[in-house]
Amino acid sequence: MQIETSTPIVKQKKTRNWKRWAIHLFPVPALLIFSVFIVYPLVAALSYSFYDWNGISRGAFVGFKNFIDLFTLQPFSSMFWNAAKNNVLYFVVQMVVQNGIAFVLAFIIYKKIKGAEFFKIAYFLPRLLSVIVVGFLWKLILNPNFGALNVILGEFGLESLQKAWLGDPKTALMTIILVNCWFGIGFAMLIFLAGLQSIPKELMEAAKLDGANGTKVITKIILPLMVPSIMIMTVLTFIQSFEAFELVYAMQGSQGEPYYSTDLLAVFFYRLAFGGSAAGSSTAVGLGSALAVVLFLFIATCTALLLKFMQKKQVEM
Amino acid sequence: MKGIGRIWLVGLMALMLVVSSACSNESGGSNNDNNKDEESVTLTIGSWRTEDGPNYKKVIEAFNEKHPEIKVEFKPSKNTEYNTILNTSLQAGEGPDIIHLRPYAPGLELAKAGYIEPIDGLNGLDTFPDETLQASRGEDGTQYGVPLNLSTTQVFYNKAIFKEHGLEEPKTWDEFMAINEKLKEEGVTPLAFGTKEGWLLSLAHGIFGPAHWGGNEFVEKISKGETDFTSPEFVKSIEVMEELKEYFPNNSEGLGMEDIRTLFFTGQAAMFPLGSWEIEVLREMNPDLELGFFPMPSAVGKEPTLTTWVDGSFGINANSKHKEEAKKFLEFLTTEEFGELFTTNFKMISAIPGVQSDNELVNDLSAAVSDYSTPYMMLVYFAGGNPSSKVTIETELQGMYIGEQDVDGVVKTLQENTEAWFEPFQ
Repeated sequence: MQIETSTPIVKQKKTRNWKRWAIHLFPVPALLIFSVFIVYPLVAALSYSFYDWNGISRGAFVGFKNFIDLFTLQPFSSMFWNAAKNNVLYFVVQMVVQNGIAFVLAFIIYKKIKGAEFFKIAYFLPRLLSVIVVGFLWKLILNPNFGALNVILGEFGLESLQKAWLGDPKTALMTIILVNCWFGIGFAMLIFLAGLQSIPKELMEAAKLDGANGTKVITKIILPLMVPSIMIMTVLTFIQSFEAFELVYAMQGSQGEPYYSTDLLAVFFYRLAFGGSAAGSSTAVGLGSALAVVLFLFIATCTALLLKFMQKKQVEM
Repeated sequence: MKGIGRIWLVGLMALMLVVSSACSNESGGSNNDNNKDEESVTLTIGSWRTEDGPNYKKVIEAFNEKHPEIKVEFKPSKNTEYNTILNTSLQAGEGPDIIHLRPYAPGLELAKAGYIEPIDGLNGLDTFPDETLQASRGEDGTQYGVPLNLSTTQVFYNKAIFKEHGLEEPKTWDEFMAINEKLKEEGVTPLAFGTKEGWLLSLAHGIFGPAHWGGNEFVEKISKGETDFTSPEFVKSIEVMEELKEYFPNNSEGLGMEDIRTLFFTGQAAMFPLGSWEIEVLREMNPDLELGFFPMPSAVGKEPTLTTWVDGSFGINANSKHKEEAKKFLEFLTTEEFGELFTTNFKMISAIPGVQSDNELVNDLSAAVSDYSTPYMMLVYFAGGNPSSKVTIETELQGMYIGEQDVDGVVKTLQENTEAWFEPFQ
């Protein structure tokens, strides 16, 4: 390093050139990581999906056969649609329950009740646990014979409600989705709270002076100005619920038990690509890759559409 | 500033290189020792038995007494991840020198793909009976693995509870059902069983089924396609699974492996239909448990049955750089010395016939195997296809227990699934 006492014009130019040149280097590390861990696997999965697979060795090129099989060959096609249906339910319930409750909680905290700080932290706590830990924790709570939930229900004399929540196909998926809501509420609440806090105070005051009542304020000011954060949450919830995997895997394993009632597209993919966890389960790498590609395209397209829609809805301030 | 910027950059680039090359270097493959002297060959063993690490140490010590020049390392991975990890490293042309093969179709899938070295003519293979070798023999008769251990599935029972209620080991199916009935009337859960985890269902079906199809003759016929799953014997075996539900614990549809094991070793249930590998676990959990077992008595007036299969074999990686040394290790696995070491330390039934251990229950099981063994049909013959027939029966039985499916539906789905891939049925 030189200590520069004077800065002649030439020097300055050099420095600027250097800067111009360097600026292109800064994304390189990120690009490297991105291409090794994201782009390459994507391309690989795409190429795998066009081949026939014999166990784990690659066979002949078969074009779109894997994609066609995925949608037409039994039992895969019925598994696919069943899993897709479950994913849609996952998304809808998360939107309504998780984001709905989170919005209300954010509003209460925004209104500066006593202990707002405490509540903020309390709601966010579950988020600090790893998803796998959350899964095992709730699995213990929900254990039909010695789990906390059924014990508590028994204490209150609600024996009729004691059931094998995760063993009954009617309740298993819903239970898992609600656990996911419990996990995600804190994050959604923070996003909404940030949205609320960014609403200019003057607007609220002006509305009050003009004699707008509470409902009016909410519908005419708060909601329109909250559109960005609501849309962000929608996109995030959408992506999360269509690639949901860890929680189901931790609580029910990779077979979508019981009787495929908790099967999701990502779980189905795991089963196809890596075989189930049980001995005597076989793999279908080609089908798995085809499913991964379909899932990727679906999520990418929907996310792009959502974002476009969101830009239209923006309120100009 | 310039200098600092450069240093940062170079540092980051270096980091990137390390990260991206780590992917390829760290897959625990066959270590390529660069020094050429013979003294330092290291073999790695891959396996899904993480819990057996200390036991393999003893095996390796015994092997080193004979072959001090060959170092052996046991490198297991988690049971549920093993297939994934092994497949990925084999595809990369790496993987351990000695591979723990899953029994029957799933293990042979690797051989079909050319990842496993044929070992025909290995010294000591003749120690094993033919049906034991079958677990790692390809369709063309090529032998790929040395069988390690046999697993059996049977009904374990709590002797103390049986004594208390004046019960004895059943000699016929009806007696077995009478025991269930009596225990239930006297307020004890008869069978520690749950249907939340699919693999337990094909396992239990493998215990109770042979009592109704009468053991090996039927298995022989069905494996040749002379009969199929729609036959009355097989349908009966599914019906029986449904009948047994009333003897399961409350909320059985929500109980998994750990739950039912707990019910049994804490004395809350009298019988436990499961595999021989549970003996050691139960002993650790409750050393005072008076554990007994009985082979499944027949419902059709035949011999009792004890469902037996090979639970794993050891094969050689076709990409290994030390095939000769690996063969020496496999030969050691066929010796009686190893068999005794194995049963004594692992508390499992060695695949080598006539080996004695110091565990009475394991010895009784070994003896019963030679008298009553019947194959675990779903695993031995029907683990192929995708989803495999074995997985299909698991899912469908689960559907039956939660009222989404009936006996005929189970049979129909299973038959259709099997026809899709099993040639004798076509």
